[in-house]
Amino acid sequence: MTTTRQATPTRRRALIALGLACLMGGASSSLPAYALDLDQLAAQLSSVPLVHGKFVQEKHLRGLPKPLLSEGRFVLARASGLLWLMETPVKQDYRIVPTGIEQRTPDGWKAIRQQAGLAQQSRMFTAVLQGDRTALERDFTLSLGKPATGWQLDLVPKSAMLKQIFTGITITGAQYVERIEMNETQGDRTVVRMMGNSTSQPLSPQEKDDLGL
Amino acid sequence: MVSERLALRAFLLLIVVMLATAAWQWRGAAPVSANLLELLPDEMPSLVEQQAVTRIEEPLNRELLVLVGHANRDLALKLADTLQAQWAQQPIFDKVQWRFQPDLDTVRKQLLDGRLAYLPPADAAQLILDPHDFIQARASELQNPFGASSPVAAQDDWLGLSGRILKGLINPTRMQTDLGTGALVSEYDGKYWTLLRGHTRVNAFDLQVPAQAAELVRQARSQVAAGQGELLATGGMLYAAAASDQATREMSLMGSIATAGSLFLLLGSFRRWRAVMVMIPVAAGILSGVVVCVTIFGKIHVLTLVLGMSLTGVTIDYAMHYLSKSFTLRPWNVRRALALVLPGLTLSMLTSSLGYLTLAWAPFPALRQIATFSIASLAGAYLCAVCLLPPLLKGFKPAPHSHLLDVARFLVRSQRKIRRLRSYSSLALLLVLGLGGIVMLHVQDDLRQWVAPSRALQEEARQVSAITGYQPTSQFFLVTGATENEVLRRQAALSARLERARSAGGLQGYRSVDQLVSPVERQQALAAMLTTLPADALAPLAALGVSDASLRQEIDRLGALPPVTPSQALAGPLGEAWRPLWMQTPDGFAGLTSLQGRVGSADLAALGKDLPGVELVDRLGSLSELFSATRQTASWLMGAACLVMGALLGLHFGLRDGFNILAVPVTSIVLTLGVLGYIGQPLTLFVLFGLILVLTIGVDYAIFMFESISGRSTTLAGVILDAGTTLLSFGLLALSDTPAVRSFGLAVGLGITFCFLLSPWTGQHHARRATATVPARPKTL
Repeated sequence: MTTTRQATPTRRRALIALGLACLMGGASSSLPAYALDLDQLAAQLSSVPLVHGKFVQEKHLRGLPKPLLSEGRFVLARASGLLWLMETPVKQDYRIVPTGIEQRTPDGWKAIRQQAGLAQQSRMFTAVLQGDRTALERDFTLSLGKPATGWQLDLVPKSAMLKQIFTGITITGAQYVERIEMNETQGDRTVVRMMGNSTSQPLSPQEKDDLGL
Repeated sequence: MVSERLALRAFLLLIVVMLATAAWQWRGAAPVSANLLELLPDEMPSLVEQQAVTRIEEPLNRELLVLVGHANRDLALKLADTLQAQWAQQPIFDKVQWRFQPDLDTVRKQLLDGRLAYLPPADAAQLILDPHDFIQARASELQNPFGASSPVAAQDDWLGLSGRILKGLINPTRMQTDLGTGALVSEYDGKYWTLLRGHTRVNAFDLQVPAQAAELVRQARSQVAAGQGELLATGGMLYAAAASDQATREMSLMGSIATAGSLFLLLGSFRRWRAVMVMIPVAAGILSGVVVCVTIFGKIHVLTLVLGMSLTGVTIDYAMHYLSKSFTLRPWNVRRALALVLPGLTLSMLTSSLGYLTLAWAPFPALRQIATFSIASLAGAYLCAVCLLPPLLKGFKPAPHSHLLDVARFLVRSQRKIRRLRSYSSLALLLVLGLGGIVMLHVQDDLRQWVAPSRALQEEARQVSAITGYQPTSQFFLVTGATENEVLRRQAALSARLERARSAGGLQGYRSVDQLVSPVERQQALAAMLTTLPADALAPLAALGVSDASLRQEIDRLGALPPVTPSQALAGPLGEAWRPLWMQTPDGFAGLTSLQGRVGSADLAALGKDLPGVELVDRLGSLSELFSATRQTASWLMGAACLVMGALLGLHFGLRDGFNILAVPVTSIVLTLGVLGYIGQPLTLFVLFGLILVLTIGVDYAIFMFESISGRSTTLAGVILDAGTTLLSFGLLALSDTPAVRSFGLAVGLGITFCFLLSPWTGQHHARRATATVPARPKTL
């Protein structure tokens, strides 16, 4: 049996970010007792069960003078998952649901490549969606900071393998997650900005359908 | 008696030497092996093939695969973590792998340097045929928030070749790496299974390592079960442990029954405790058998020991022969008795040894060992019975039980009846009966006749291969060539055929180094193509903002990459899985194409046909052929032995009596085969080996009866004792769980019984000489 091949991680910069967003936005009910601040944060985030908003994702690749931009809308439903509807540069819908990360195709939702590493990542996000913070804490050291406004959560990978991929992940927000920044060991960087503009708008039938409700 | 004293001293010296040798041989680990693979023929057509087989069998011999399963993934990992920590402390393992933490920097470097060499053929073809599409796909991948990525930064590999390479490295197993822990995990049937691999320190197939490994697995199983988990384990050493457990159980059971039975017969017949001394030659026989075996082979296989235990029945006979003279020889005197039986004893030892010698000729190491053990054991027991026992039995007064003699007399009477049945027609009837069964015999020539691995272990191995998706076979292709590149080209040609076979079904997969690295020509063709890449092909990347200069630079860098050889590719972390599949040979290089999934030997041979330097190595397939060929040769050999014996007996006893004597074992053999046919037992090589022994023992009985040195009933009493002890020990083998042993025991047991029943048919030498009045009966034999 091989080790190297499977061990070679398949990174999904944005995925991790989105998964974390789910955690912050949606997965607090079953958070175990932790540092008081994290509990407070969880409570604060869980008070917002549903967010509609816009996102801007910037991929800062070292060799490019300008970041690669993608923009679109997102729907974060606390209990069921996340819809990530990219509008530019191309239209493409994604969702993170308990079964994994899926992409809309003419034939319906299809899981993205079930290959080494990915099944693992979707499992991580699934755990996150279900409020299983232990899974995250196994892979990352979490620390909470208090900037001038809102809060900042830093994740530092624990395992040697993850350290070879990320140097760290920083999540900032106030009422909900507003910005996620992932710094890769390679020097590339991804910033996701999430601008929520409604916490009261209900799920449309289409959104419900897309989230499998 | 000077010569007697001399013989005694010489023998005692021999015993001391043997005891000392044994003490030295057994000083550390017991030189006992239970490795089932050792039973297989060790002769290989070439050194390269032998090396290759060693490579392929290495994991089988030294690896213990353990799966720890739990419905909760984290708990499964936790249980495995605990187990790994415990096992790492165990001296029998040199490493217990669980987490795999590759150095990504090294992976990165290998990927970058070998972007042309490792690019899968399909991707290379797309790049060459449709560069526009290829690069457009790369551009959208960079845009895509969920696009594939690789450990290599985008700017180091604008064309995204490293990502394609990683995607293309097929994972033949179902195991996935857990990024947090580096563990290999597979989800199966609602449970998460993580894999632990224990690698033993030495290829120590002595009794200890398998037993220790089996014990560790047992403990781990209950420990994991206590955590509501489940543990599955497989590995050659577990089979070895089960085999040696079974052998030990059978050995002690059969050994003690045979010994107790023989002692009972002995004490019952001679009614003196000192009669127990006839067990001394048995002990001497076992001692010399073990010592000689370990000296010649370095160790002794458990199967040899099991079969060796059956020799007790033969070696005990040596002393029994002259003790049973006490039925007539009164007063019994050891020296006179010995003098009377010595020629017969010597002849018997020589014919039995000859029988076993035929085993030694077969091309199976296990049989050679059994033959060596038996011959050494017979010689040791014989010498002991002749040199040591007489002085020990000086003044011994056996009190032969008259009942045995009564039984013998009764038998003699009934034998007369049997003898009266002696006619060509009854012989013909028996032969027809036998032949009727022989027609029903079916032949079995595969590995199943050697061993019957425990069902539980087989089931567990099946589950492990279902969960891991890893099903190795012992079949593989050996591809040789003068240069590395030649081997690679030849493997690529073979892979093309295997790929077709895989899509047709049957073959699950295969692995060869050409899947990792392309032949030099392909690398060069790719480099040449890139330097002439149409300018507009790179437009999608330029649209993302990548500068023309850096794209130009990237193309120049790729074009200038030096070709990667298999040796270089295998040295890096990406080559780990392929490393055992490549080797240097005296004439160049060799690559192994290992196979997954069961495919018929003939189909595989057809796949490799006509490809230069490609050869199928199929140990199990060739084993069946070997079994079959050996079985046929053994049949001829038995026929030849019959003729030779017939000639010798004819010379010695006259044609007619010689024929009569030979008719006993020959008819017995026919009847034995017939019975096997009727009861549906297969005809295996081991049946034939048993029958060769029946031939030699049967001739013994017949000669003994024919000569009737001291009256027919006493002779018969001797034969009863002989046959009783032999039947006890060989017949018990028929109860063994090892098919080879059972087959052998059944053949010998049945054969001896028929020989015993038919031995009166030899007629009576003395009687005929003494009483000339017995009218010749033309119709009888």
